[in-house]
Amino acid sequence: MTGDLCPLALLSAGTEATVADIRAGKGMQTRLFGMGFCPDARVKVQCANRGSLIVSVGDARYALSRGIAMKILVGCAKGVA
Amino acid sequence: MTREIRIALTGNPNVGKTTLFNALTGSRQHVGNWPGVTVEKKTGRINRNGYEIEVVDLPGTYSLTAYSADEIIARNFLLDEKPDVVVQVVDATNLERNLYLTTQLSELRVPVVIALNMADMAEAQGDAIDRARLSEFLEIPVVRTVGTRGEGLDTLLEAAIKEAKTSPHHEHTVGYGDDAEAKIVTLVDALSADRNLAKRYPLRWLAVKLLEGDENVVSKVREGPASVRVQSILSSIDADEYEAVMADKRYEAIAAILPQVHRTDPKGTTFSDMVDRVVTNRYLGIPIFLALMWGAFELTFTVATPFMTAIDTLVVWLAELAVASIEPAWLGSLIGDGIISGVGAVLIFLPNIFILFLILAFLEDSGYLARAAFIMDRPLYAIGLPGKAFIPMLIGFGCNVPAIMATRSIESEKDRLLTILVNPFMSCSARLPVYVLFAGAFFGAQAGGVMFFLYVLGIVVAIVSAKLFRSTVLPGDVSPFVMEMPPYRLPTAMTSLMHMWSRGSMYLRKAGTIILLGAMVVWALASFPYGVEYGSAESFAGMLGHLIEPLVAPLGFDWKVAVALIFGFLAKEVVVGSLGVLYGTGEETLSEALLADPGLSAATALALMVFVLLYMPCVAALGVIKKETGSWKWTGFAVAYGIVVAWVLAFVVGHLAPFFIGGA
Repeated sequence: MTGDLCPLALLSAGTEATVADIRAGKGMQTRLFGMGFCPDARVKVQCANRGSLIVSVGDARYALSRGIAMKILVGCAKGVA
Repeated sequence: MTREIRIALTGNPNVGKTTLFNALTGSRQHVGNWPGVTVEKKTGRINRNGYEIEVVDLPGTYSLTAYSADEIIARNFLLDEKPDVVVQVVDATNLERNLYLTTQLSELRVPVVIALNMADMAEAQGDAIDRARLSEFLEIPVVRTVGTRGEGLDTLLEAAIKEAKTSPHHEHTVGYGDDAEAKIVTLVDALSADRNLAKRYPLRWLAVKLLEGDENVVSKVREGPASVRVQSILSSIDADEYEAVMADKRYEAIAAILPQVHRTDPKGTTFSDMVDRVVTNRYLGIPIFLALMWGAFELTFTVATPFMTAIDTLVVWLAELAVASIEPAWLGSLIGDGIISGVGAVLIFLPNIFILFLILAFLEDSGYLARAAFIMDRPLYAIGLPGKAFIPMLIGFGCNVPAIMATRSIESEKDRLLTILVNPFMSCSARLPVYVLFAGAFFGAQAGGVMFFLYVLGIVVAIVSAKLFRSTVLPGDVSPFVMEMPPYRLPTAMTSLMHMWSRGSMYLRKAGTIILLGAMVVWALASFPYGVEYGSAESFAGMLGHLIEPLVAPLGFDWKVAVALIFGFLAKEVVVGSLGVLYGTGEETLSEALLADPGLSAATALALMVFVLLYMPCVAALGVIKKETGSWKWTGFAVAYGIVVAWVLAFVVGHLAPFFIGGA
């Protein structure tokens, strides 16, 4: 993975990316790991609405508010909005 | 020889644990297509092969480090109640993430069986899972199940019984890399000084959780003799970093075996994704949601009307018949004026209630409910509520009791308390009879608009109250919204009807118990002391009503209404039931009797509906508020706040209404 890190919230619909880092609070971080958002996980933005997203990780779909999508950093080598 | 076995059902949210539980035990626990339906443990019993088996259904969880109240229940049960065997229900269409929990369960050293559930759906989308190989890799039996059709239950039970008998169990865990493993070894060594702890939990599991910074485990160790050494080891490390490394290792371990057991085609955009692009669209999302709500409202009230008229006519006829033909006269009056008029007044609204619950069942089972929460996250955030609060609020239209329970999946305690406190303002189905009765009697063609106004008023009061509490008694930031969006499923008519029945029949049961009781008590109060005219000011009911009347007189309510409001605390339908009893002497319907009462005007009727909407949670809702907040202070606050708001708004509405409706 090359390129800089950027928050997941800034990606547009249809973009794929790889999770690099999560900077949420302790409890939320644990929850996100359990959901599959962990470093190196591939994610794809399905719907984007001003930073609120529906993201697929593996076979699951998650809705994230902008607040939390800003704290998930992804490598944005390609296809950034 | 019988032996007892306790099986715990665990797994990620929305994988079908409760569906499987219902199929195994013949229970009828509530299920739905959204994460967080089950928020407390439920037990059922079965006998199989000479074993007495207790099955425990637990709330869903993504990991064994709990975050929200429902997850804590699941985790504590697994840790402290020591089930003989844990059945992890796994969603076969989402193997990778589900196995993350499996890696943690295997560290607990309890026998585990995997129920590979929704196997039919995985097969339908072209996935093939080699269960034998998966079982070999994990050293855990893997059974194919389809909870909705009851497939694989026998094999699952047999595997569970066999595992429960095989102890002590092997230890098969993920390796976390040299650095973490070295830390685990030193932690295990330090922990072994705490014999009490060592007896109850596997030391390696404790060490792993300490390294991840699990607060619950840290506090378990704190009081014991190992505390000092453990603290000194932990003080030199960054738990966040270890947690990330260990999560990564778990997924790596899963990724290493998955390609060998799981054959799947890469999936592009699914049907659910396409629907989501429309219903969660920035511009369309909220209009679509509002249109659905309006449609639901229309259905609830229009479709039901002919059924209601029929029931109404029947009730009046039966009550008249009872009064006229049953001897002695007092018994005829008890049955006719009391029981039939009182309970009947409430039963009239059965059609509305059932349609309402059918609509809620459709929302829950289709998967749209989770989307609605997502759409509403932004507006709710602006008023200081988390998006997840939306689900309890919508369920509140059915009944506030399950709605308040459903707040357990809200992570932050403060957000949760706030959501509980405003929930009673969401107009539940028990209040609906009051609206239909009074709006129908006094507002004729405008009845629909009046009822819509009441529902909206409840929502507005909830919003304003949330904003008020957030800026005064419960300050703080709203927790961010993260929620799994389940795939859309077309609910079958059968399941929707069953869900409608299981919730709607509670209303029937209420009619046969608490409402019946309320009607009989009000009848007795209206009939005695002996010799007074039925329902007159000299009866006990009259005396009680007159005692309260000064408090509600400024709102335009007379003593009869006051009596009805007092008993409405038992259940809000009792307001209608009580009025049915107090007015139930003529041959006319209750709405005709109300309309004929010179003490009641359209403005008063409106004020009364507003008051009933807001005045206080019913006894059952209060009980659950106390249970969920664990505080009499907040329970008392909910009552006092409700009464004040109801009084003020009913006063304002009652005095302003004449200007709008021509002082009718």
